[in-house]
Amino acid sequence: MVAPLESPFSRARIAPSLWDPVIRISHWGLALVVLSNAILTEGGSTLHVLAGWIGIGLLALRLLWGIVGPQEARFSAFPPNPLAALRHLRQLAQGRPEEYGSHNPAGAMMAYALWGLLAVVIATGLVMTGGRTPMQVAADQAAVASGDWSALVKPGESGDDEDENEGWKDAAEEVHEVAANLILFLVLLHVAGVALESRAMGRNLVRPMLTGSDKDRRK
Amino acid sequence: MTGRTPQEARRRQTAALVAFLLVQTLAVVFFIGDVIGDLREDPQSIHFIFEALVTGALTLGVVFGALALRRTIDLLRAQEAALDVARGALSDVIEAQFAAWGLTPAERDVGLLALKGLDVAEIAEVRGAAQGTVRAQLTRIYSKAGVSGRAQFAAYFVEDLMGQGLKAQA
Ligand code: HEM
Ligand code: HEM
Repeated sequence: MVAPLESPFSRARIAPSLWDPVIRISHWGLALVVLSNAILTEGGSTLHVLAGWIGIGLLALRLLWGIVGPQEARFSAFPPNPLAALRHLRQLAQGRPEEYGSHNPAGAMMAYALWGLLAVVIATGLVMTGGRTPMQVAADQAAVASGDWSALVKPGESGDDEDENEGWKDAAEEVHEVAANLILFLVLLHVAGVALESRAMGRNLVRPMLTGSDKDRRK
Repeated sequence: MTGRTPQEARRRQTAALVAFLLVQTLAVVFFIGDVIGDLREDPQSIHFIFEALVTGALTLGVVFGALALRRTIDLLRAQEAALDVARGALSDVIEAQFAAWGLTPAERDVGLLALKGLDVAEIAEVRGAAQGTVRAQLTRIYSKAGVSGRAQFAAYFVEDLMGQGLKAQA
């Protein structure tokens, strides 16, 4: 009388009622990092660099999870596909979007764009700071504050290649700011997309990113 | 539901693994940053080989941590799926049995509530009926089922669940 045990994957066409903890922690962690660095912390300050380094960890963890994580967390569950993304947006405009087992194709493109830009912002931030850890940045700033300006001269930076280095840093600074602003712009679209999608689907997409609901978990 | 035992334990295990993985990943990132910094200041450092080994070990630790977490999550989901199946199957069993006994729709409702552990007063309240009515319905249900009373009535299905439950785990 008992049906054969269903594999969890056979229900893959329904997005999870609760995303797994790695997805949730990396999502809200990265959101916090972005918002704090864009709004709260001063560019180049110890806190800014510290938040950025935490961002590196969260992003790395999420990317690893995209390879070894459960089915719906894997990149293969939401491959980047611009055509499918456009199709999905068209369906959304017509008010009857398709269901997917993970992010919908438009959401997937958004996720890759945000991760990619985060990588750019992090990389350019590292160039600007010469790859110094937050601890070193703090130490240097403390040294400068106490009047020892030599902390600003890094080994390997003195001499001929200094100009070249500065050129790179200026470029990095430009890219850093542009990419950071682009992230903020995309996040607005992202949140709007989540709201529209939730309305069209008739279910709250944010709840599975938070705690899920008791009802969902029992189901 | 009183599904506390293995599932609760696995959930707690999941939370612990996640916390561990997070701390480990952040530690690796900061450690690698530090190593690269050291390396650039003193490329000939004898530290290097040692630090490269530690970095490799830490990174492997993160990967294995992620794999362990993945396995725990998979197990948790498989258990939940099995429980769903058992629950769905049990209600199928109950439904079929009620039909076989020829219970009326009202008797089926009362029977289900009784199986869920409600007493006569509670069933009466849920159904907005008099307690005397519910008691009479229960008596008819027990007699149609050929059981002596509530305990035997419930046991009838529990036995089914235990037999099937073992199979569903396999
Ligand atoms: C992760 C998200 C990040 C965001 C959203 C972000 C955003 C910004 C913004 C908007 C500025 C310009 C501030 C201004 O004009 O005063 C800035 C400056 C700066 N950021 Fe970031 N940042 C991030 C990560 C990082 C990281 C990871 C590092 C270093 C490892 C870093 C290092 C710097 C530095 C050194 C500046 C100062 C540039 C200057 O000299 O004006 N940032 N950041
Ligand atoms: C700086 C802020 C944010 C960033 C960088 C960001 C980035 C992302 C990324 C990369 C994903 C894919 C998640 C994964 O697979 O790991 C995602 C999904 C999601 N985000 Fe955000 N997010 C931000 C803010 C927000 C906010 C404020 C909300 C709440 C309204 C939100 C709601 C969601 C939801 C509901 C999903 C899952 C969408 C789905 O069901 O497919 N995000 N976000």
